Amino acid sequence: MLSNSSGILRILFFLPALLLVVVFVFYPAIHTVCTSFFTPDGKFAPLSSYAAALGRREVKAALIHNFVWIAIHLPVTLLGGLVLAVLLMHVKGRNFIRPMIVLGMVTPTAVGGLIVRFIFDRRLGIVPAFLTLFGVSPKSWISYPETALFALILGSVWLWTGFSFILHLAGLQTIPRDYYDAAKVDGATPWRSFFAITLPLLRPVTLVVAVLTIIWELKTFALVYTATMGGPGVATNVLALQMFTDAFQRFDFNSGSVVATLLLILVMVFAIPLIWRSAR
Amino acid sequence: MRRTWLLLVGVLGAALGLGIVTVAQGTPTIRIAHPWAGGEWDVFQPVVEAAENALGIEIEAQLIRPADLRTVLPIQWAAGVAPADLFFGPTVPLILRGARGGHLMDLTDLASPEDFFPGMCDPVMVEGRLYALPYTQKPKVPGFWYRYSFFEEHGLAEPANWPEFLALLDQIKAIGTVEAPIVTPVEHGEGWVLGDLVENILIAFGGPQLHRELAAGTIRWTDPLVKAILEYRLVPLIQRGYFTEPTEIFPAVEKWWTGEGPLISILTALLGVIEDPEDAGLFVIPGATGYVVAPDYVFVSSYTRYPEEARALARWFATEGQELHIQRGGGVFATKPVPRELYPPVERRVADLLAGMACLPDIEQVCGGDFKVASYRSWPLLWVDPQSLSEILETLEEKQPQP
Repeated sequence: MLSNSSGILRILFFLPALLLVVVFVFYPAIHTVCTSFFTPDGKFAPLSSYAAALGRREVKAALIHNFVWIAIHLPVTLLGGLVLAVLLMHVKGRNFIRPMIVLGMVTPTAVGGLIVRFIFDRRLGIVPAFLTLFGVSPKSWISYPETALFALILGSVWLWTGFSFILHLAGLQTIPRDYYDAAKVDGATPWRSFFAITLPLLRPVTLVVAVLTIIWELKTFALVYTATMGGPGVATNVLALQMFTDAFQRFDFNSGSVVATLLLILVMVFAIPLIWRSAR
Repeated sequence: MRRTWLLLVGVLGAALGLGIVTVAQGTPTIRIAHPWAGGEWDVFQPVVEAAENALGIEIEAQLIRPADLRTVLPIQWAAGVAPADLFFGPTVPLILRGARGGHLMDLTDLASPEDFFPGMCDPVMVEGRLYALPYTQKPKVPGFWYRYSFFEEHGLAEPANWPEFLALLDQIKAIGTVEAPIVTPVEHGEGWVLGDLVENILIAFGGPQLHRELAAGTIRWTDPLVKAILEYRLVPLIQRGYFTEPTEIFPAVEKWWTGEGPLISILTALLGVIEDPEDAGLFVIPGATGYVVAPDYVFVSSYTRYPEEARALARWFATEGQELHIQRGGGVFATKPVPRELYPPVERRVADLLAGMACLPDIEQVCGGDFKVASYRSWPLLWVDPQSLSEILETLEEKQPQP
């Protein structure tokens, strides 16, 4: 009887949160997926809806750009965060340097987009100014289709590397000192210790960082919205921005739902393996 | 415990009584949603106060930008509500969507299209019924602003024809402190200002009828005439380095003001943001006989609690209200014939220059949707890659509504 009542009590405490999740997460997600199967005039036509969306130049461009974003952004932030965490583990003045690295992480992404515009500006930006030292003539990177996406990705690296750094730093601090001492006694070099001890023991953390970074990359919106609005042309268009454009500028909620569902599928493709791996 | 209950009952009773009294007083409070902030609000606020005095109502004004209105209104309409009784905005597709969905009141009996400049009401009519009234406008000037002081300092003169215009550009380009003769403003990477210039060039060399047919979809963007005008008039200017790189709008105005890009083609709202509007001169593209506008329309929600008062207010704004508004300057112009003396001296000079020209609705505002998005993204591309003209025109034609 006692366990029955405590079970009921557990459910009662759990219910409000579950209700919120069902109303504000599950229901909208399911409704969006269902909406994606219909045309604007109410006909059930899932294949043609998806074919029409994927046939559009802007959507194809957005899909490619998101993958390019992942291909560049993921290794750079992962490695960058890890290297910084290792370097700043014991260095003097770390309590001063570490907050500077996470500054990007605490900057609102929309503000980050505005900052990116100025960082790469021909006259005001530090990047073009730095490159003039190597004889590169200055230009506003976000104005040109061949450099705009790369500029946004670099800006995103600055905003997100702090996250990778923080998590890797926390992971490093859980590795027992004894392992390194034992390795030293056995004659291992710092490089050997890094590859044989640090990397393997940091793998769970690195996996988490990798998946969360991919999710960030797929849902990136505010940075692009404030920096370039997807232009010039469709040079910086991404799926989240396309979803917004379809729904709230073209008033085509069915197309917007198709893009949203594609985004959901892509995120699940990356997230589900992690959840399985963690559960094992 | 008893005392606590008595206190609680007393407080609730007072609150209830106050509520009843408030309702009983019955002064209608009309909620208006407008897009003007900062200096623009300073110009509009006295107009709101005058409306309150003239009509014996209270007005609660809230700022909702056109971009937010586009997002908020369709969702609220779907729920049968609206965030305000009266709205101001230039977004024609939103107005038409609201009209067709029964979310806006029919205002046909409040004014006639003949009361306004020709063509002002056409975009907001559905099956012969008027669903919005033109309020004020900031013309997208068919030419270039310059500073009198800059021209005087460098011995420059307004051009009377196209060859003189090209010669002027060369003269300006030769000045050492100039980055390029014409500043290229964009906003968050969007090229609506550049789109206005493109439309004005099409009007100057193709005539107002070309613009009307482009807007209606009966002439397509890949039409040889459209391509030829842009290829032979605009693209060479870009290729010869007469334009700066696309620059965010406020830094662009700054560049223009400091003389780094002494010419700028932008709407008359410029007059509201510069230090000394008296120093701003304007010359039109030689041969221009029309210009592009995106008037701010006033429209009334079907879900208003005070339909009669809201309609009266809409009518007041479209008539007396806009006359009051334009007297306060800031580059604001009327959408109906008004005595030129109502304009402050700077605006009067501009009004005289535009007098007699055809006033044509902005194609991006009229078409909206996919076309507007594509247009805003495409024009900055032309300015950095003039070879992409054909590709851009094909994209625009793809998104252009059918006639």
